[in-house]
Amino acid sequence: MTSAIPPVLKLTNVSRSFGKVKAVNNVSLTIARGEVIGLTGENGAGKSTLLKILAGIERPDEGTMEINGKPANFRSPNDAFRAGVGVVHQEQSLFTNLSVAENIALQNQDRSGLSRFGIRNWGEINRNASAVLDKIGVKLSPRARVGDLSFVDRQMVEIARAVCVEPGKDATPLIILDEPTAVLEQAEVEVLEREIRKLRRFASVIFVSHRLDEVLRICDRVVVMRHGSLTSDRSTEGVTKQDLFKAMVDDAPVAVTRARAATPAQSTPAIEARGLTVNGKFRDISFAVHPGRITALVGTNGSGRGALMRTLFGAGKPDAGTLLVNGQEVSNWSIRKAVAAGLAYVPAERKVEGMIGGYSGTRNIAMVHRQTAMVGPLLHPGRMARTAQTWFDRLDVNPNDITQPLDQFSGGNQQKVVLAKWLNSPDLRVLMLDHPLRGLDVGVSQAVNAQIREACKNGTAVVLIPDTIEEALDMADEILVLRDGQISARHDLSSGSDLAIKEIVAEMI
Amino acid sequence: MTYELANSSDFPAEKRRAKGIAPMKAFRQFAAWHTIAPPLVFFAMLLVVGIFNPNYLGPFGISIVAATAAPILLVAVGQAMVLNIGSIDLSNAAISMLGAILLALWVPQLGVAGILGVLVLMTLVGALNGFVLAHTQVPSFALTLGTLGILQTAALVISDSQTIYLTQNRELVTAFYNTSLAFVPLTFWIGVLVAVAYWVLLRFTVVGQNMTAVGKNESGAILSAVPHRRIKTITFAVSGFTGAVAGLCIVAQGGSASASGLGSNLLLPGIAAALVGGTSISGGLTNPLNVIFGALTVAFVPIAIQALGFSAQAQSLVYGIFIILVVALTTTRTRGLVIK
Repeated sequence: MTSAIPPVLKLTNVSRSFGKVKAVNNVSLTIARGEVIGLTGENGAGKSTLLKILAGIERPDEGTMEINGKPANFRSPNDAFRAGVGVVHQEQSLFTNLSVAENIALQNQDRSGLSRFGIRNWGEINRNASAVLDKIGVKLSPRARVGDLSFVDRQMVEIARAVCVEPGKDATPLIILDEPTAVLEQAEVEVLEREIRKLRRFASVIFVSHRLDEVLRICDRVVVMRHGSLTSDRSTEGVTKQDLFKAMVDDAPVAVTRARAATPAQSTPAIEARGLTVNGKFRDISFAVHPGRITALVGTNGSGRGALMRTLFGAGKPDAGTLLVNGQEVSNWSIRKAVAAGLAYVPAERKVEGMIGGYSGTRNIAMVHRQTAMVGPLLHPGRMARTAQTWFDRLDVNPNDITQPLDQFSGGNQQKVVLAKWLNSPDLRVLMLDHPLRGLDVGVSQAVNAQIREACKNGTAVVLIPDTIEEALDMADEILVLRDGQISARHDLSSGSDLAIKEIVAEMI
Repeated sequence: MTYELANSSDFPAEKRRAKGIAPMKAFRQFAAWHTIAPPLVFFAMLLVVGIFNPNYLGPFGISIVAATAAPILLVAVGQAMVLNIGSIDLSNAAISMLGAILLALWVPQLGVAGILGVLVLMTLVGALNGFVLAHTQVPSFALTLGTLGILQTAALVISDSQTIYLTQNRELVTAFYNTSLAFVPLTFWIGVLVAVAYWVLLRFTVVGQNMTAVGKNESGAILSAVPHRRIKTITFAVSGFTGAVAGLCIVAQGGSASASGLGSNLLLPGIAAALVGGTSISGGLTNPLNVIFGALTVAFVPIAIQALGFSAQAQSLVYGIFIILVVALTTTRTRGLVIK
């Protein structure tokens, strides 16, 4: 039996083209039992297409695929599921108004015993869910409503759904996690990491992430894709971030470092909160951001930092405390007043809140600051287009087509346009960004960060909610740590003190 | 930023441009199709009917179709504006009806001031609809269903369920119907004028851009500092105003107004015309110029059915099937799978 165990996944020369673009180009990959593989690469490197082939959503043009030694020719996601490939997609697809057990049961509808003559067998559904949750070692009630769960717990339910695959006797399931950590906070990522390590007892795992630290920490082996091909496939032992980086991009970027800005002795803060409180979200928050400085708000998802930023932008009403903008106390604060005072807000939910998907890049950029595009009371299409073209060129938006609806662009290029909409202000005082790099690849992230720094250099005060503590340390002049709606620590980085990530994590939880 | 530069030298601007657009080409052609489909459908229908019954291609046919289409066009173009922000106005035809009755009552004494008074009053009724919608968040379907009932009752009470004839200053109103330009009565040209004005509003003004933004993605618009409540109020005011102009056309055509007479069932033809004109019922997409052809098509279908010799009983059936087919042809599908 020892040498007879076939690999869980064996891809041989798999290719898939869309038009002239080879999204996946001659990829061969073998995954052994219980192995955890990291898959990384820039946006558009072909990771998603490769995953879609494994999940039965796309079919390869060339090449062969074997799962547990059997040739796999998936015609639908259901085929893949039955062969033992379970996928946790990038965006959560749970039904929040249903229970944990119902969500798990939906994934394997045709499993016998869950319903009889079309009538649901609730006892069996809950028992089945308990068994699955036990298997992956998660303590969750099958009866809990998914909408009441925390984000990381929902991710666990997603994983539970994925491991419901039935690869048959003696076969090992293959679990694919597509950027499961993109929306998780540091502490939650650690919980997830523990879960992934548990998975390897009975499954093989493909873990997709842009965060190279995580990949190196969690995985046995790491595979890098670039322009559709595998450019690196090696054990994580002894590999550095820089090695992976070189395999990912055509040219290693020059690290941009910036002298930290100290608080100017005599300047009015662009924005200042005094004892700001929103009941149930955060309380007694006091801080000030001066022109040319970047303040990062660090904390877990429930720390209230997102709500704090929305309140600063006028999207929520404070219950107590005062807000000062450019030294003036404001009352009846609203989004309209905030924008008129030179505030800008890049929300975390880019597609839903950050942009008008059906509108072109031109119209999106002209949504807020359009003084230059007006002729009397009318919008001048030519001038709007000129402004948009300038920003598309400056931020290198790809495809460089200002007339195309924004929802047809990739996430990174959408984010560039969202940023352009706010940077087009004649007098940008405060730039607030909630998870600006969420889901972006290394190259776009750097472009976005460069724009933030540029705005800062021109005298804009920046409030940033970063994805990671590394991002905060990289960007900020000051870090405010929020815990349970209160500021638990302040670190002024301009004083030159060295700050350890562990220290900050300890202050968060 | 070296990385960015390296990337751009690999893909010169033109190449990148071509690369980006190529996969979208099919989509683009589809998108272009929805802008020409409404006029195409109308002219195709005109051609078919013309072959069987050449009279309809002459001045007589055109004037009949345009006269019938005028009030439908006005109600439809107002409806299209409301649909564009993602709402619906079920009360706009009732606004027309009440406006027509008030016109018939006021114009004999007040003359032009009576016309202006009705336009202003009905615009305010529409604005009230929008204001309540924006501030109470009652869904527009429910809200305007309520206003529809209220306005119908008001029309019945004010007219005492009688037909009200224009006794004096009759020509002041009927001139809009009796005067023709290129065989087409002025009432229709007024509709065209209003449609063009709304097209300009949507395309070249901030208010118009904000209306469409609210229809496409309301929360995104709110966070881009769009005054969404004001936009809704304005849009419903626009619909009220347009409804009042439709009322003017009704009185111009008949010389009288009654709560159950000419023009009392404009609501559904108005919605149909907006949809046939390519307006999306889920918001964010309309072209008032195409609604002109939508209204012409909707007005022409019953005439065409008669001209082609279908029996009277079959008319509703053919009308229903035809509207479904035409909307299937003229609706844009570039917005994806979700159709509300």
